[in-house]
Amino acid sequence: MTHHQPSRRRFLAGLGAAGAAALLSGCVTSGSSGKSSSGGAVTLQSNLSAPQAKAAMEDLVAAYGKKGEVRLNTVAAETFRTQLPTYLTSANPPDVYTWYPGSVADAYARKNLLLDLGEVWASPELRGYSKALNTLCTASSGKKVFVPTTYYWWGMFYRKSNFAKWGVNEPKSWDEFLDLCDKLRSKGVTPVGLGAGGNTAWVASAWFDYLNIRVNGAAYHRDLLAGRHRFDDPEVRKVFDRWQEVLPYFDPDGTAVAFQDASTSMLNGRSAMMLIGTFFADAAPKDALDDIDFFRFPVVDPKVPLAEEAPTDGYFAGARTGRRDEVIDLMRFLGTAEAQEIYIKGSSGTVLPCHPDAKDAGTPLVLKGRRHVEEAAEITQFFNRDSSDALQPTADNALTRFIAEPKSIGSILTTWQRDAEKIWNA
Amino acid sequence: MTTTSAAVRRRRAATAGFHLGAGTLALLWLLPIGLVLVTSLRSFDDIAANGLGSWPHSFTLDNFRQAWVDGGQRRALINSLLVTIPAVLVTLALASMAAFALSRYELPFRRSLLLLMLGGNLLPPQILLVPVSKLSELMGLHDTLTALIGVQIGFGVGFYVFVLHGFMRAIPAEIQQAAVVDGAGPWQIFWRIILPLTRPALAALSALSFTWVFNDLLWAITVLRSDTKMPITAALIGLQGQYVSMWNVIAAGSVIAAAPTVAVFLRFQRHFVAGLNLGAVK
Repeated sequence: MTHHQPSRRRFLAGLGAAGAAALLSGCVTSGSSGKSSSGGAVTLQSNLSAPQAKAAMEDLVAAYGKKGEVRLNTVAAETFRTQLPTYLTSANPPDVYTWYPGSVADAYARKNLLLDLGEVWASPELRGYSKALNTLCTASSGKKVFVPTTYYWWGMFYRKSNFAKWGVNEPKSWDEFLDLCDKLRSKGVTPVGLGAGGNTAWVASAWFDYLNIRVNGAAYHRDLLAGRHRFDDPEVRKVFDRWQEVLPYFDPDGTAVAFQDASTSMLNGRSAMMLIGTFFADAAPKDALDDIDFFRFPVVDPKVPLAEEAPTDGYFAGARTGRRDEVIDLMRFLGTAEAQEIYIKGSSGTVLPCHPDAKDAGTPLVLKGRRHVEEAAEITQFFNRDSSDALQPTADNALTRFIAEPKSIGSILTTWQRDAEKIWNA
Repeated sequence: MTTTSAAVRRRRAATAGFHLGAGTLALLWLLPIGLVLVTSLRSFDDIAANGLGSWPHSFTLDNFRQAWVDGGQRRALINSLLVTIPAVLVTLALASMAAFALSRYELPFRRSLLLLMLGGNLLPPQILLVPVSKLSELMGLHDTLTALIGVQIGFGVGFYVFVLHGFMRAIPAEIQQAAVVDGAGPWQIFWRIILPLTRPALAALSALSFTWVFNDLLWAITVLRSDTKMPITAALIGLQGQYVSMWNVIAAGSVIAAAPTVAVFLRFQRHFVAGLNLGAVK
């Protein structure tokens, strides 16, 4: 039996050597392919996985197809979110990505993971973009890293027929809003739907964002989310004092059902209104769409400059791309009015184009939405987009707890500040 | 007289209670499956207008078409089978050979080898996500089905060796000795004696591993990146929108995705139960 031993050992050694060699050669080839992969189709990694949005993206890619080659790669939104850092750091990454501008893009830009798109911004297609969008797409290093294409808005959505039935009107000020809630409750309707249950706890952050930009202003809000103020400051406390005034009118199931179910309740008249983004219209039956209207989040302090939440979507490109020229060309196309109109036509049509000359869907709701955003002096994005995806769960925890036990707001804010510090200092 | 009738009555009550309890449990267990089936047959407008939990007001088979064609489930199902079938076959082939060697021969370090395999199974796979992703990239296999098959084999083999080793060890040594006396070599013993005797365990394991590999999502999204290569589980979460999900299409997609595993289980269920029993009573 013993004479078998050496041969087996030699065999195993050989196997190990072969494996190591395969690994090393893999190293070499991948190292070289990282540089030499220029040419070929540009990969556009998209998180727009909903059937309608996906079809709109396919239209967009087909329209560009006359000028160059693009391979559209649609990945589930949740997968995309968790895999994005891996994509950006991999050796042979996708080239262009759908994502958000502002502090989210800046976080990647600071790690040198994003391609400088200054050339795209210098092109005639993007010259007409507003100054606000310009600032939004500039990283802290001063480089342009993002091409914005569409945005949507948040507001207090309701059904026109229901408001008419209950004999109530849109409020303007905070006091009028509280009166409205009181009146609705006396008619046996839940005044305010929330939908921060299921896996959409983040919806509650819209209330925090809006109350903060109404009470303390957009500048303070951005500073707070960037860690330049504290969540246990008296200013933040004032936000929750206001919230407590309206909290009794909230749907008691607010933190139990997801926003999709909450919007169904609103459409059925079980609740009267809801602070939500226009994307919720995708979850509405077609025959209800014409009946949907919205009003501006009530003004709390008229001295504070009017700000609205209007999250912008668009594209950035990875710095490790091997097809820089093709990427720049595609980005220029995505910035045109033509490309944005194609996307809006194919998608559900509740988004607005970023290009000043591009036509929107033209429905009364969208026209009103466009005016709504244009009247605002300042634009904020959304809690996670103005801070980071890492900070969002701290808000979810704090706000869910606040809605359940508003009395213990002091300790909630202390905890929130402690959790946020861990993320800011990480 | 009265005491016996009381006993009979008590026994009847116990039987009724048992059936009632077990029946309720079974119903509770079937309720979510029923809900998925009903949802898959409703239209989106119906769900949006009446909510997910209401009685159905519509009937449509279009959701299945949407999931199959627009949702790309046909392609995804092919990908899943392309990964699952080779992965199951190769894993079982490798594992049965390893288990044969470890259980029937006095190999050095066989205890440590087995413990190593068991230890590998106790390790949570999540901590290996980044290494696996980087390694597949380094070897130029990233975003290929080969990489996914490789990962599935690598992570499956340890557990199967462990199970098959326990099973093969229970086969009496005399059978093998008789074969040796008749002049059979190790290969013949493995192929003609041990493997046929291990069939129940192999059938049970193949049903199990088919489900595990087929239902895996984690490794698929770790080593794959293109939507055309994603297996059915990844295609299923792809049906969820960024904000709004069409639950009827997702439910239809889930029914499609569950069909192959159910079919495999129905086909192998006799072996499966037998395999479990044989493993338990040595």
